[in-house]
Amino acid sequence: MRKKKMIFKIEDVTVYFPYENIYPEQYEYMIELKRTLDAKGHCLLEMPTGTGKTIALLSLITSYRLSRPDSPIKLVYCTRTVHEMEKTLAELKVLHDYQVSQLGAQAKILAIGLSSRKNLCVNPKVLAAENRDSVDAACRKRTASWVRDMAVENKNVELCDYFENHEKAGENALLPPGVYTLEDLRTFGKNRGWCPYFLARHMVQFANVIVYSYQYLLDPKVAGIISKELQKESVVVFDEAHNIDNVCIEALSVSVRRVTLEGANRNLNKIRQEIDRFKATDAGRLRAEYNRLVEGLALRGDLSGTDQWLANPALPHDILKEAVPGNIRRAEHFVHVLRRLLQYLGGRLDTENVEKESPVSFVSSLNSQAGIEQKTLKFCYDRLHSLHVNPLKLQIQMNLCLFRQCATLQLLLGHMQGAFPSSLSLTTKECLIFQILYCSCHDASLAIKPVFDRFQSVVITSGTLSPIDLYPRLLSFNPVVSRSFKMSMTRDCICPMVLTRGSDQLPVSTKFDMRSDPGVVRNYGKLLVEMVSIVPDGVVCFFVSYSYMDGIIATWSETGILKEIMQQKLVFIETQDVVETTLALDNYRRACDRGRGAVFFSVARGKVAEGIDFDRHYGRLVVMYGVPFQYTLSKILLARLEYLRDTFQIKEGDFLTFDALRQAAQCVGRVIRSKADYGMMIFADKRYSRHDKRSKLPGWILSHLRDNLSTDMAIHIAREFLRKMAQPYDKAGTTMGKKTLLTQEDLDKMAETGVQDMVY
Amino acid sequence: MAGLQVEKRVKYKSSVKDPGTPGLLRIEVMLLFVPEDPKSDSKLKVQTQNIKSQKYTKEGSNKPPWLNLTNKQGRSHIFEFENYQDMHSCRDFITKALAKCEEEPKKPAVSTSSAEQLSIADFELRFKLLRENSELQRLHKQFVESKVLTEDEFWATRKKLLGKDSVRKSKQQLGLKSMMVSGIKPSTDGRTNRVTFNLTPEIIFQIFAEKPAVRQAFINYVPSKMTEKDFWTKYFRAEYLYSTKNTAVAAAEAAEDEELAVFLKPDEILAQEARQKIRRVDPTLDMEADQGDDYTHLMDHGIQRDGTLDLVEPKNDQFKRSLLQDLNRHAAVVLEGRSIDVESEDTRTVAEALTRVKQVSKADSEANQERLERISRVAGMEDLQEPQNFPLAPLSIKDPRDYFESQQGNVLNEPRGAGGLKRNIHEAYGLLKASILDIRTKGLCDPLIKPEVSFEVFSSLTRTISTAKNIIGKNPRESFLDRLPKATKDEVLHHWTSIQELLRHFWSSYPISTTYLHTKVGKLKDAMSNTYSQLEAMKESVQSDLRHQVSLLVRPMQQALDAAFQHYEADLQRRTAKSGGGERPNGCV
Repeated sequence: MRKKKMIFKIEDVTVYFPYENIYPEQYEYMIELKRTLDAKGHCLLEMPTGTGKTIALLSLITSYRLSRPDSPIKLVYCTRTVHEMEKTLAELKVLHDYQVSQLGAQAKILAIGLSSRKNLCVNPKVLAAENRDSVDAACRKRTASWVRDMAVENKNVELCDYFENHEKAGENALLPPGVYTLEDLRTFGKNRGWCPYFLARHMVQFANVIVYSYQYLLDPKVAGIISKELQKESVVVFDEAHNIDNVCIEALSVSVRRVTLEGANRNLNKIRQEIDRFKATDAGRLRAEYNRLVEGLALRGDLSGTDQWLANPALPHDILKEAVPGNIRRAEHFVHVLRRLLQYLGGRLDTENVEKESPVSFVSSLNSQAGIEQKTLKFCYDRLHSLHVNPLKLQIQMNLCLFRQCATLQLLLGHMQGAFPSSLSLTTKECLIFQILYCSCHDASLAIKPVFDRFQSVVITSGTLSPIDLYPRLLSFNPVVSRSFKMSMTRDCICPMVLTRGSDQLPVSTKFDMRSDPGVVRNYGKLLVEMVSIVPDGVVCFFVSYSYMDGIIATWSETGILKEIMQQKLVFIETQDVVETTLALDNYRRACDRGRGAVFFSVARGKVAEGIDFDRHYGRLVVMYGVPFQYTLSKILLARLEYLRDTFQIKEGDFLTFDALRQAAQCVGRVIRSKADYGMMIFADKRYSRHDKRSKLPGWILSHLRDNLSTDMAIHIAREFLRKMAQPYDKAGTTMGKKTLLTQEDLDKMAETGVQDMVY
Repeated sequence: MAGLQVEKRVKYKSSVKDPGTPGLLRIEVMLLFVPEDPKSDSKLKVQTQNIKSQKYTKEGSNKPPWLNLTNKQGRSHIFEFENYQDMHSCRDFITKALAKCEEEPKKPAVSTSSAEQLSIADFELRFKLLRENSELQRLHKQFVESKVLTEDEFWATRKKLLGKDSVRKSKQQLGLKSMMVSGIKPSTDGRTNRVTFNLTPEIIFQIFAEKPAVRQAFINYVPSKMTEKDFWTKYFRAEYLYSTKNTAVAAAEAAEDEELAVFLKPDEILAQEARQKIRRVDPTLDMEADQGDDYTHLMDHGIQRDGTLDLVEPKNDQFKRSLLQDLNRHAAVVLEGRSIDVESEDTRTVAEALTRVKQVSKADSEANQERLERISRVAGMEDLQEPQNFPLAPLSIKDPRDYFESQQGNVLNEPRGAGGLKRNIHEAYGLLKASILDIRTKGLCDPLIKPEVSFEVFSSLTRTISTAKNIIGKNPRESFLDRLPKATKDEVLHHWTSIQELLRHFWSSYPISTTYLHTKVGKLKDAMSNTYSQLEAMKESVQSDLRHQVSLLVRPMQQALDAAFQHYEADLQRRTAKSGGGERPNGCV
């Protein structure tokens, strides 16, 4: 007979947990989480991978909601990638089924995943488009209001039936409660004939749980559209948030290159022509747009400080109250301004040297040379938006995005400079082969600030957040709870090793002067050859960069090492082409499922390293070749380091090491998913055995680490480890003194005697 | 069969040595041979149902076209034809007739065929087995045809093979080799710049499977536009251009030569397939979906992390194909396995069959359903819930010897320093014994065996499954057997299997209770002494530096045979003594 799934109390909340057992860490985690929710504050929680963070989070927050029916909270769950979103929703489904089976209809919630048109569209004609932008454009071409107006008169204009049906249903277009993955949304939309994308967007305000990408909250442009209707009583969770500072920075960074400018110029010409045409034929419409603009500004002035806040995180209140400067109110004038701006940027791109500038000086030189004031810049984006959405009915939208990018840059520049005089946005020009104008933001807290300000609780959690005190500083917030959990292990199911030498006792490293040494390359290859012959199922290798991986694989292929590897396992490789990488991953998994076994070559900081799990037989060994430092010669990185030093007194070296080690830990952590799982991790670089590197590894790795090994020793350890892991073991860990798996009875007992003595 | 008949001029031979009687062979319901010389008494009538098998000489061999028919009584009839065409037509006819007969026994009317008479299907099965397994065939030839064993005796020990299921199951398709086609190195003659590529059907299959564009080109061009040889020459020319990594040259050549350009351009069909496949990919790893979700992937958003952006000039980009892509593609094809069952030498047939398969596999909708189920199953955490019982697939190791040898290699490879930790085999045995005792007294509990115990036992077992060959070989991976010349190696292995076979029959005949067994043992003993002397001869003939090793290998075989001989002698003595002594039942040992 199956055991019952768990119901237990944490203080006053009855928690429904959809499994028969629970890890003590999960229980602790829930307690801390509940305190955060009670305190209505933010928190920072680090718990090692493989301890079931996601289900603990979901379980507690949904249960919390159930226990407070008078003030239901909304859960906004942010993942980095779409596939993580799918995984989260799948777990939520299990949980939801259980809660409904226990409590009946009152436990029903509406949970949706939200993604772009490309992932949600069901219209086959639109889907035929290749990439995201063309899908967006194809969709807009059928759903924009002016197109629909036109269709009333002209029968030949093509519309999207799904969208029309959805519009017809209006407010009644509702999703019944349940958990909807993207696939479920598509199926539902297809059956009802409603557009899943617009349905999902519409349902955001009603849903109890929303799962979407970081961007939907952090990127000011997207957040303004999608997330503005979220209530304050929401819990925002950033899962796998160890990189959140980088995500924040990227959300506010753009670059401009010559192609962009050329595209923008072309688009500007088109706009110009359109305006001229309108002037001749339909001047009224332009005037209407102008009036609307002025009205809209007034309206916005009233609203500032409330919900609109999120729309423009970089805008402080007073700016919102300002009016649009006179010189861009009229469409034709505005176009002139933009033209001047482009010319100025083009001129800047023409230099031969690398230039670095702070926003203040950039804006002032812009003012003096192109005669464009900072204030004007602030409104460029909105002005452009209003222009092309409302009157111009431009059918060239897709091309416009290039131009918009330019404008975005200016918007950010303008605002940032005005709002945060001390900061961080800066322009660099790199003259390698291409002349690129980078506008990069260095303060991670800028993008996330509105989120902290607006929502009741923000939970930042990941497997690797050490050192945990650094994150509040980087993101400038005050967590009410900040804790790092240890992992209690039933058996030593991980086996991290630092490999410093090859079998010939020569040191291995990807240090710049050593990485192309044939001895090092050979030793790295031999390590893998030996390992694939003893490790069953999947093996994952991470390299420090694409170019390094390219080079080393080419060398291995020439020297026959690759052939030796292929005798044991199939080889799959991450490439820069996402489609190919996805297919390679899919094949890799199938190879592991079939028992043939496979090796996956991947890149630290690449897409695979960030989001794909290699749990269970999909990864029994992960080899990290080298220390994944960032490209230290990059001007942008240097500027950021400088900023960090000046603002937070963080030493450059420290930050680089911290960043590299968190990447490495993240890469190797992907092999463990639960305590029943096991995996080996090899850090193959002599630099890992140095104290400054090693001490930055997370504690759960450090406590098992075997240091300073050569290849043959590592092979030996691996063999012993694998043989040990193949044995049955006592899952609950009852014999070892402390329990690593708790049952319902254990929890009941703990409730009586008090928590602490049982858990650790 | 009515109305159909074949009539050919043949020579009938009752045995191989027989010069043969010329005459007319007529086959319809039965096989009728009428000699030309009416005085000859070699007139022959055989029911086609009674024909058990047919053998024939291969075309192109120096022998005359013979057809050898064996009937169920084990008699064989040999017919020599005038030419191969005649022989083939007869053979086809008989095959058809046999196939008909095979259906017939199912009808109750024909149930006259007695129980001891094996159905045609059984024979077919036996032949199929013999055909598929050359080792078995050799044994069969050696013992059955030389009358050491009868047909039934031979098969009696292989009932398992004859089981219906096993045949069907063992039809596991052979997978593809992991080696890359690009790994095929051309051979040079050293003097000129000429290189030669050796293409086998296997390689061609792989090229076609990995490069649909090449396949399509082949269907389009050969033979209408160029010969097959020209085609492959072009193909390798293109491959060569890739390997030089000189995209400019590649571009120039492609511009001149339209057909060459086909090989150099990116594979359009592949790209399409990729687009198809991406829709069916597991959504929990669909990174392509991310592309649509944020726009950090767009060219000018975010920060380039990898400092070395390689944005090459787009002009010659289409002539650049990376090794990485090839590797991925290759692995995918190997994983897919051999999707077609065409055993054809004809390249065109292979190409077309592959194209067909690709088109068929495009339509599948239930895969989607299955995919969704998998996700929900994987979503759970395994050790927090009761174990789920997944269906088990039977393990099928094609060559267990390989497996154990590799394990041994692992054990022997271990560094010396680690030895101190290990317990010896006795200790491991002791542990095992103790835990068995434990189970006896307490009964089974969970876990069945203590992990430490099983661990110990396993490691000492793998360490001690060792034979002379591993310790002697310089490289423990390569066994001594592999260092022998191939002929000798095969001979050793063959002797080994045949001795096994003989011994099995020999020992299973004891106790000798019938005269039948008595004669059988006698025959077996003769065959064994025959083999024994062959072994001796082999030992002599082998090169002196290998002799010691070979004798080491041969010794256990000889010992086994010696034991058998001894037993035979002892038994014989006892029996003669007994038969002299009194009326005791036969065969009591």
